[in-house]
Amino acid sequence: MFLGVDIGSSSSKAVLINPLGEIVGQKAIQMGTGTVGAKSVEQALLEETGVKRSDVLFAVVTGYGRMTYPGCDLQITEISCHAAGVCFSLPGTRTIVDIGGQDAKVIRVDQAGRVVNFGMNEKCAAGTGRFLEVMARVLGCRIGELSALAGKSQNTVKISSVCTVFAESEVISQLAAGAKIEDVAKGAHNSVATRVAGMCNRIGVEEAVAMTGGVALNQDMVKSMAAALSVPICVPESPQTIGALGAAHFAREKYGRL
Amino acid sequence: MSQVQDLIGALSGAGKNPKETVLDEMKRTGKKAVGCFPIYVPEEIIHAAGLLPVGLWGGNTEFKEADKYFQSFCCSIMRANVEQGIRGTYDMLSAVVITSYCDTLRAVLVNWPVAVPNMKTIPMILPQNRIEPAAVEFMLEKFEIFRGEMESISGIKATESMLEESFGLYERYRAAMRDFTELAGTHPKTVNAVDRHYVIKAGYFMDKEAYTEKIEQINTCLKGMPDEKAGAKVVLTGLLAEPENFLELLAENGIGVAADDLAQESRQFRTKSRPDGSVFERIAYRYMDLRGCTFFYEEMKARGQMLIDMVKQSGADGILVCMYKFCDPEEFDYPVYKKEVEAAQIPMLYLEIEQQMDSVEQLRTRIQSFKEMIM
Amino acid sequence: MDKKISSKKMLKEMMAEHYSDALKRKAEGKPVVWATSIIPQELMEALDIAVVYPENHAAAIGARKDAPVFINHAEANGYSVDICSYARVNMAYADILESEAENIPIPDMILSGSNICCTAIKWYENIAKKFNIPMVLIDSPFNMSYDVSAESVKYIRKQIENAITQLEKLAGRKMDYDRLKEVMKVSNENAIWWKKATDLLANKPSPTNGFDMFNYMAPIVCLRGNEKGTRLFKTWYEELQANVDNGVGPWQDQEEKYRVLWDGIACWPYLKDTYVKLKSNGINVVTSTYPESWTLLYEVGDLDSMARAYGGLYVLRSIDYITDRLSALATGFKVDGIVFHSNRSCKGMDFKQFEIARRLESKFGVKYVFFDGDQTDPSTFSLAQYETRIQALVEMMEGNRQREVHGI
Repeated sequence: MFLGVDIGSSSSKAVLINPLGEIVGQKAIQMGTGTVGAKSVEQALLEETGVKRSDVLFAVVTGYGRMTYPGCDLQITEISCHAAGVCFSLPGTRTIVDIGGQDAKVIRVDQAGRVVNFGMNEKCAAGTGRFLEVMARVLGCRIGELSALAGKSQNTVKISSVCTVFAESEVISQLAAGAKIEDVAKGAHNSVATRVAGMCNRIGVEEAVAMTGGVALNQDMVKSMAAALSVPICVPESPQTIGALGAAHFAREKYGRL
Repeated sequence: MSQVQDLIGALSGAGKNPKETVLDEMKRTGKKAVGCFPIYVPEEIIHAAGLLPVGLWGGNTEFKEADKYFQSFCCSIMRANVEQGIRGTYDMLSAVVITSYCDTLRAVLVNWPVAVPNMKTIPMILPQNRIEPAAVEFMLEKFEIFRGEMESISGIKATESMLEESFGLYERYRAAMRDFTELAGTHPKTVNAVDRHYVIKAGYFMDKEAYTEKIEQINTCLKGMPDEKAGAKVVLTGLLAEPENFLELLAENGIGVAADDLAQESRQFRTKSRPDGSVFERIAYRYMDLRGCTFFYEEMKARGQMLIDMVKQSGADGILVCMYKFCDPEEFDYPVYKKEVEAAQIPMLYLEIEQQMDSVEQLRTRIQSFKEMIM
Repeated sequence: MDKKISSKKMLKEMMAEHYSDALKRKAEGKPVVWATSIIPQELMEALDIAVVYPENHAAAIGARKDAPVFINHAEANGYSVDICSYARVNMAYADILESEAENIPIPDMILSGSNICCTAIKWYENIAKKFNIPMVLIDSPFNMSYDVSAESVKYIRKQIENAITQLEKLAGRKMDYDRLKEVMKVSNENAIWWKKATDLLANKPSPTNGFDMFNYMAPIVCLRGNEKGTRLFKTWYEELQANVDNGVGPWQDQEEKYRVLWDGIACWPYLKDTYVKLKSNGINVVTSTYPESWTLLYEVGDLDSMARAYGGLYVLRSIDYITDRLSALATGFKVDGIVFHSNRSCKGMDFKQFEIARRLESKFGVKYVFFDGDQTDPSTFSLAQYETRIQALVEMMEGNRQREVHGI
């Protein structure tokens, strides 16, 4: 068995694959780096699949918490892992938009799934999952409810502040002025999409485009992103575990070669 | 509606709709238009070559294309200009003149030809050392090259007499603007903060002759009207006073604009020309003589005292600092004049603003409290 | 044979002397000038006027991680966090006048050059006003044409002549033009030794690491006009040449696996962190856009030629010139990648980086990464972000190698 673990800033993911590259199991826990979530996701996955740790031939860790995660054989950046993961689940992808908790990235890959170029957001939460979390909090809904809310929007509110802190007060005043929650939710999606599209422009977008990361579960966000880029966007079956899947594939590839 | 309100309404409307105004003016005059980046461009030369100079001062644009060239900590006006350039907003212009007054503008000069390859780009590099007499010679040479470039766009020779005529028109325009800003200060109800701004801004999109006539008419009307009392009056300082919803807050709170020290407004026309010399020399010396503008080097920085004098002369109750985020030169000036203005015990409100502000709730509270404080 | 002292030891002693000498001269009642880093220092050297360079001083404060005290002080005085942190540190130092890094004497005159940035105008305008002292500006127009135009040369030259007059007043004596010529000769010689030394890093493996090169930037700023500089840079060159001859690479415990170009000023508060991460990945910084700015060469005795050199810096040039220079560095130093420091303090350099990165990638397929940081303000840098991006660069550079090997 080969294990891939992705320790993000706000969630931890693990994927197990067999020597044929088939997924044996996957797991995501909403606890990120520095918490017990990181270690428990691996344990939970092993328990669930009934795989013993000693059966794991090689393990690769990725994500922001990769430096401090014990017990893996190798660490690789989430940039390469997302590329590899998408290459297996959505072959033919050339551009990956990954919106995670703390950062957003756009990754260009070649036909072999290798990273050709990438761009990441500046040290600021605008255009990231964190921004959506803040928005959900202000709107008094759960992050998982944003998509359905925004889908109902008839009259999108424009959120122009690029800074999360400013945007928060902007949204509060929009609500005070009578804006509907769904219109603000859609506005938040468009704001993230515009920020990320700007970043995509820096390195260029080549089709096919895929979106990964937990934010890709938000269907309306994907819609906003596709509109901002004017290209269709595919989402793999399990977008939040793509990094871990890529890590597992690296584990399989590197086993015996190091 | 009275005549003055009609006139103000018409110009204010023209200032609010740059693109339509420019297209109308191009049609009306049959002239080609040339875009001018902030801060100062010798428009007289453009005019003399039979062209319509148009001011490019950003706009409430969403940034997407411009992110290809600039990090997020770049001045929003420059990002907006580049964004609009890429999106084709400026396609009716025959060329764009870009200046080099700050590090960001220098970077725009590097990126623009790549970002907007189909637009003719003409640099206008002006010296920033006005203590050095050679700065004038440098300008004269630049103006000569610039004249040639303008002539090649219009196909019209900008002869000495045409330059003389254009310069005369611009002096008339500047005198009218000085009168207008003074009269607007004494008539804050007829000319509220929003209209005042857009009336002045319309001058960037209209042919100067037609525009100046309208301003002179407004001035005549205002001169015949008794002075008006505003709730409070302020002096505006900074790069420019936008967006509109920010100015609306002033109007809403009954705050009138007594005078301004904005780069987009009075700094453009507050300096009178010297009486003699060639046209190019007179243009050059207007730059040499301009005081209190952050975009030129100035020994011992006169701006603080100028603001204090402006408050006194215009009877203002305080100063509003319109600080455009990431405008380095303005940000460098602020601590220096802040100290002087505070020592003179003049109330001052510092507001960080951007053109892309759709909600101004925070500003509302601050402006209202400031008004309560100075009244 | 005398045991030669190492250039590194020399550097330390000379820099300490540079600062102590300025303080001593001030105490003796002699004038002191504060100047920007790429300025005709030849004039002051020839008139024997003490000069200190606040950019260098601020970098020293930043490297000691002492900047926050000064930054907070400047912020309390109304300085926005968005402006250059060297300026913020220096303007606060002008109030506090005490730092653990080094101390510099209060200036009697400012000599500022807009050739490095327009920020230098605003920054020193404020300093001159604060101390009520004269400021001499040498303004260099941006060059939209490929080369420096004749009218720019004339304008800069006139300003240099005015600077001479002002400095003569300050020194209380006339300029000795023979002495100036000598200083010009020494300055050119130093620039040549500096270039010869830094050019040796083009060897594979490179005879030293690029962060070592950052250390020599203080003396190329402060000692460019005197014989001390000649001794130092010549010694450094000889040391590097010996390494080349003996096949000695940048590290004893690590191989030079990848060679990169570093764009932008060093991230002084995290110099060690940024270095260690590169080294642990076998990445050596072999060149940078930055040191080249001090390779100022011109005709000795010719003020026009001098004006052209100072007015022709990389930051004052068009996109085509920039692309050509960067291409020459990328190929000449055989780099595998580029690290772009998106330095919050230096808008003039930052706002060109995206386009430069794209151009070089499409021209040579060279890989690049950006990271957020600042030359002195520690708050904009994140080690985790830096680590991830450097590692991603390694993975991409490795991808390039595989493509070369496997031909796909």
